[in-house]
Amino acid sequence: MRISTQSTYDRASAGMATLSAAAAKLQTQVATGKKLIAPSDDAAAYRQLTVIRRANADQAANAANVTLASGLLASSDTALESIGNQLVQARELAMQASNGTLTDSQKASIAISLDAIVDDMLALANTTDSRGQPLFGGATGDVAYTRAADGTISFAGTGEPGAIPIGDGTSIHATDSGERIFAVDTPGGASDIFRIVQELAEAIRTGGDVSKDASSEALTTLQSAIEGVADARASVGARAARLDLEAQRLSDTAVDREESRSAIEDVDPYEAYTQLQKTLTILSATQASFSKLTSMSLFDYLR
Amino acid sequence: MSDMLSIGASGLRAYQTALSTTSDNIANAGTAGFSRRTATIEEIAKANRVGLGQTTNLVGNGAYASGIARSEDSFRAADVRRTSSDLARTETGVVWLDRIEGALGGNKLDERLTAFFNAATGVAADPAASAPRAVMLETASSLAAAFTGTGNALAGAASDLAGTGRDAADQLSGLSASLVKVNDGLARADTNSAGRAQLLDERDRLLESMSAITDVSVSTDSIGRATVRAGGTAGPILADVESASTVTFVMNDSGATSIAVHRNGITQPLNASGGAFAGISDAAGRIASARETLNTMAQSFVDGVNAVQANGADLNGKTPADPIFATDPANPTTITMVMNDPKGIAAASVGEGTRGNGNLAALTELRASGGYETTLDDLTTANAAALQSRSSVASAQSAIRDAAVAARDSVTGVDLDEEAVDLIRFQQAYQASSRVIQVARDTLNAIFEIF
Repeated sequence: MRISTQSTYDRASAGMATLSAAAAKLQTQVATGKKLIAPSDDAAAYRQLTVIRRANADQAANAANVTLASGLLASSDTALESIGNQLVQARELAMQASNGTLTDSQKASIAISLDAIVDDMLALANTTDSRGQPLFGGATGDVAYTRAADGTISFAGTGEPGAIPIGDGTSIHATDSGERIFAVDTPGGASDIFRIVQELAEAIRTGGDVSKDASSEALTTLQSAIEGVADARASVGARAARLDLEAQRLSDTAVDREESRSAIEDVDPYEAYTQLQKTLTILSATQASFSKLTSMSLFDYLR
Repeated sequence: MSDMLSIGASGLRAYQTALSTTSDNIANAGTAGFSRRTATIEEIAKANRVGLGQTTNLVGNGAYASGIARSEDSFRAADVRRTSSDLARTETGVVWLDRIEGALGGNKLDERLTAFFNAATGVAADPAASAPRAVMLETASSLAAAFTGTGNALAGAASDLAGTGRDAADQLSGLSASLVKVNDGLARADTNSAGRAQLLDERDRLLESMSAITDVSVSTDSIGRATVRAGGTAGPILADVESASTVTFVMNDSGATSIAVHRNGITQPLNASGGAFAGISDAAGRIASARETLNTMAQSFVDGVNAVQANGADLNGKTPADPIFATDPANPTTITMVMNDPKGIAAASVGEGTRGNGNLAALTELRASGGYETTLDDLTTANAAALQSRSSVASAQSAIRDAAVAARDSVTGVDLDEEAVDLIRFQQAYQASSRVIQVARDTLNAIFEIF
């Protein structure tokens, strides 16, 4: 079979071009550390990668919400603990006041202490969270509670604040409306922690002599207020524990995804480099043999 | 003795032709489509006149170059055309699939979609603050740009494809016209002349160029004039011995292509199953379906998001004044932003209050039910899978074509070493013939010296 001179050159150049292209592709893989440069490199793997990438983006958004919600719950916990302590203190003062041997000035000072407790509880109930929003506010209102000129403290907002989405269709109530958790049931109807302490102080201040019955009723009401706040705190704690689990789950699945991603996309540097070296060796051998072959010509011997 | 002189002279002339032909081969060793030629040298037949006392012719009358023979193998040439056609179809497909891949991925539409929905998740965590809302508007704006960019990239690919199709049609018309001229030349060229060999080379080159555009079926008559039909043996005639056809390419807005052959006032469709035309038709369908999918998805996305927005309440607790996006119904991927006030995003359900985020849950539902990201993934993956398989088919077809070219070249190609051997052989024959003339002269001189 005749090998035409043209095809000798064509074939050599095509072979070298193929080898150069293979070397360039390996070089790109080594430089980027990625096997998949374009979707068409491996369509099925690309599909898996997009799912993983999207899950990673979703996870980043959800993890941010989990962190925020955890922070909000921690703030709630701290504020509720302080409010609970204030209520315990109010109960101690009420017990003191029920002692019939107190003088008027002693009673007046107890009433002043109770007023201070109301001020402190109002400040705590109006705590702002890391978002700059009232921690115990409802769905509306710039602050949780307002105090009118006559000293009446009332809830400013309406409704419950929205639950924060934390992924896969689940969401968590990171804050509670004060209207709900600070409400207290009294024999005289629905009230709240501020009003019962204010009413107690008023009774001590004006009544002069607080009857045993009145103070024992106040003690019962205070006890149920303390329990209500403790319940709210327990609920906050349970949600925080759930968020801890959620955060753990998010980071675990992230690790699993990273393993899958790496298996699909990442280049094994040793293998890639060995392949590159092999390709380059073959290329230089092809170049050497090509120049050797083409340097031989019968025309050299025509004299 | 005068016989010997003329025999020597005839040898000189014959081998001069042979040497020139060999030199021509060497000079054209690198010319594409050149077929190797050989000088045919024959003996000069002597008239049968018998001299006195002589019963038979004892010597011949020399040699002459009777013509130039062109090496050819029409079956191998047809094989090269067929394999080139197949390869051109696949390679054209690869080029345009790659273009679609770039168009779909270049604007990172999938990532922008994910970012938009995740920004909504951020707003849900802090609905009353303006920063997450501003972030959501920014991602919405870059998403609109990504939709527009992707749509434009596909539209650009479609219009470039139409341009390529028209260029190919013009090229095919030109090649057909050239082939008719070559056919005309072949009718007048002397048999076995170098001019005829050149015309046949040109004919084969034209046929090869035509087969890269469409699959052709070629028949030749006794003097080598070709009649070419496009798209199979029953297809329309592109060129015959009389006239050439004109080819046109039209692509409509929905991506349907029609290729037509116009000849003597009659128009016939060209159904290419090979060559660039077939690849262009395939690609046109793919680009059109990608555009349609993207358009449907863009319209559904804008409608869905705007419906969610309209159902909610903005930061002031009111029904939002504006939708988030607007789109051109004629070109749904051209999405523009209508909402430019972060407070206007309807995060809350109606009556929920400023810290409500109920309406954003509807957006999350839209993400799942609309499946926009999945649709885009399906589109990209289907295209990538097609591109992947075409690329491997192209490399196989390329190897098949190379083998066909090598098989043809083993008949028609020029091997310089072989020509060098011929050069030496013919040179020696030429020198020997000149020595014959010298001997004839010496012999004649010896006779003259007697007197």
